[in-house]
Amino acid sequence: MSRKSERLVNLVIALLATKRSLTKAEIFRTIEGYEGTDESMERMFERDKDELRALGIEIEVSGIDPLFEDEQGYRIKPENFAMDSKGYSALEIAYMSLGAQLWKDASLGESSQRALRKLSGFASSIDVGDLPAIAPITLSAPNFLNEIIGAIADKKMIEFSYLDSDLNVKKRRVNVYSYFARQSYWYFSGLDVDKNDLRTFRCDRIVGDIATSKKTQSYQVPQDWISQSSLEETASNKQAILRIRVGRCSQLRSIAQSVQPEVEHDLVSIEYSSESEIVSLILWHLDDVEVVSPETLRSKLRTSLQSLVELHG
Amino acid sequence: MVKKFSQNQVERLLDLVPYLTSHQGVALEQIATDFQTDKLTIIDDLNTLWMCGLPGYTPLELIDLSFDTGFVTIRNAEVLSKPRKLSNLELATVIVGLNILRESIQPTNSHYENVSNLLKRLTISSSVPAPLSIHSSVDPEIRSICANGMKEKSNISIVYHSYAKDLESKRDVYPFGFQVVDGQEYLECFCYESKGFRLFRLDRIKSARISGPAQVLPEEEANTEVLRNFHFRVLAESRKVSEIFHIAISSDYSSKSEFESTAFNDEWIIRTICSLNAAAAITSPVVIREQIAERANRALALYV
Repeated sequence: MSRKSERLVNLVIALLATKRSLTKAEIFRTIEGYEGTDESMERMFERDKDELRALGIEIEVSGIDPLFEDEQGYRIKPENFAMDSKGYSALEIAYMSLGAQLWKDASLGESSQRALRKLSGFASSIDVGDLPAIAPITLSAPNFLNEIIGAIADKKMIEFSYLDSDLNVKKRRVNVYSYFARQSYWYFSGLDVDKNDLRTFRCDRIVGDIATSKKTQSYQVPQDWISQSSLEETASNKQAILRIRVGRCSQLRSIAQSVQPEVEHDLVSIEYSSESEIVSLILWHLDDVEVVSPETLRSKLRTSLQSLVELHG
Repeated sequence: MVKKFSQNQVERLLDLVPYLTSHQGVALEQIATDFQTDKLTIIDDLNTLWMCGLPGYTPLELIDLSFDTGFVTIRNAEVLSKPRKLSNLELATVIVGLNILRESIQPTNSHYENVSNLLKRLTISSSVPAPLSIHSSVDPEIRSICANGMKEKSNISIVYHSYAKDLESKRDVYPFGFQVVDGQEYLECFCYESKGFRLFRLDRIKSARISGPAQVLPEEEANTEVLRNFHFRVLAESRKVSEIFHIAISSDYSSKSEFESTAFNDEWIIRTICSLNAAAAITSPVVIREQIAERANRALALYV
């Protein structure tokens, strides 16, 4: 049994239950646990306030009497303390718990444990385990998701060392705009402050830790950011015609817009945005595929195959 | 394993009240489990709570607890009875988790819309940034069939597309887990066809169905895949090459001219090197080197 925990809980209860702010004098007089000289009670109260605030509890300070500014009052507003439970059905609480559970072992683990514990305060008629087979995507757990989310929320610049495509480790300073997952990797995008250009980073390519700058609200996310970045993903503006062997190249078939059968081959038409990606995919299938058009892609393949032969001859 | 997190008694007491209020009659052991602590700590917590209440602190104001039977009931704790608000980071775990959940459900399933609506409400009323997108190329239904197979301890029958062989094949497997390798989701299973433990990339499983109860698994793996050793040079795009072949990055990277790696089959090595478009070249074994030259030459014949 801890006297200090007892006093802190009593303080929370009193500040929550009161309709008007309580003065220090009232607090010391009525709340169990405040003892000693005025000075020691004063110090005790300061520490208690700090401790409660560290737990995320908002204590409101207000002047009680407009004529006497030194007489301050304290209270905790119930709407700032408790979760809005009216809005959530038992099923929704179950979804939220299931969502938070996905982080049990990851970088957000501690926060998710706290979230789960708070959510367990709701009477739930639904056991999360009984929800029908939702088999969640398995994602790799980045160590930095909490820093990145925090940086976006407070608009703080971050700094980190990053492995570039030539394996050089370079310092990067970034105003983060958004984060996303693709396959099982986490990425974030934003303005690379030194390059003054938009860049995307993969979390697991960060070397060491992320340092977050102290200054908040140091940038703004461009208004059209979301629509802009979703456009990038879907733009496939070039078209290739490929001749592929019958019964082979399922990867190419699965992304083909049309398939036109020939004798031992099929002609497929494929839309693409990145030339290097399509070249890579075609090379994977070796002589089971031939580029028919465009001519630029044909000559790319010719050059690539020639260097492969030279390198391995 | 569930990670332990630092426990602060005040925080636990504040969360304990709403929990006890909504779980009247709950066993001490259950509370200890749910709060990831031991029974003695919970008893100490209850003894502390017992002394708490509204100013005045007569029995009328104090929280009323009964737990001497081993089951806990709570009364007179209305002020603290609502679950505490989630902090921004706690809400973030819920929001990111729900985003993942939504992408794991087929849009035709009613849960999809429920989760979407919940997410909309949670994100509108908070400053927590939601992920822009969660993208996976795995069919949620395939993942869910695999998960059901694990739950029911049944075999599943899958059609698998091997990229290395560029062939589809039907296999009976006993599924027992999911794993992430190089950013891709894999099914861990025992494959009856190859009589060994295998990993199959989930997005390359074309179809899956529960096929019946599991057979007895061999104690020892009958058929292990043989690893092939190979050496290669890196000529460009060194990060990409190092990630594909799992070379540990070290400071002497740039001075090193040759690297070593292993793979399960030659076909994968050949096709991967080709698709890297001359960013890397095999130096040994000679068999693979020759095969790459020969097959690239055959493909080149299509263009001259």
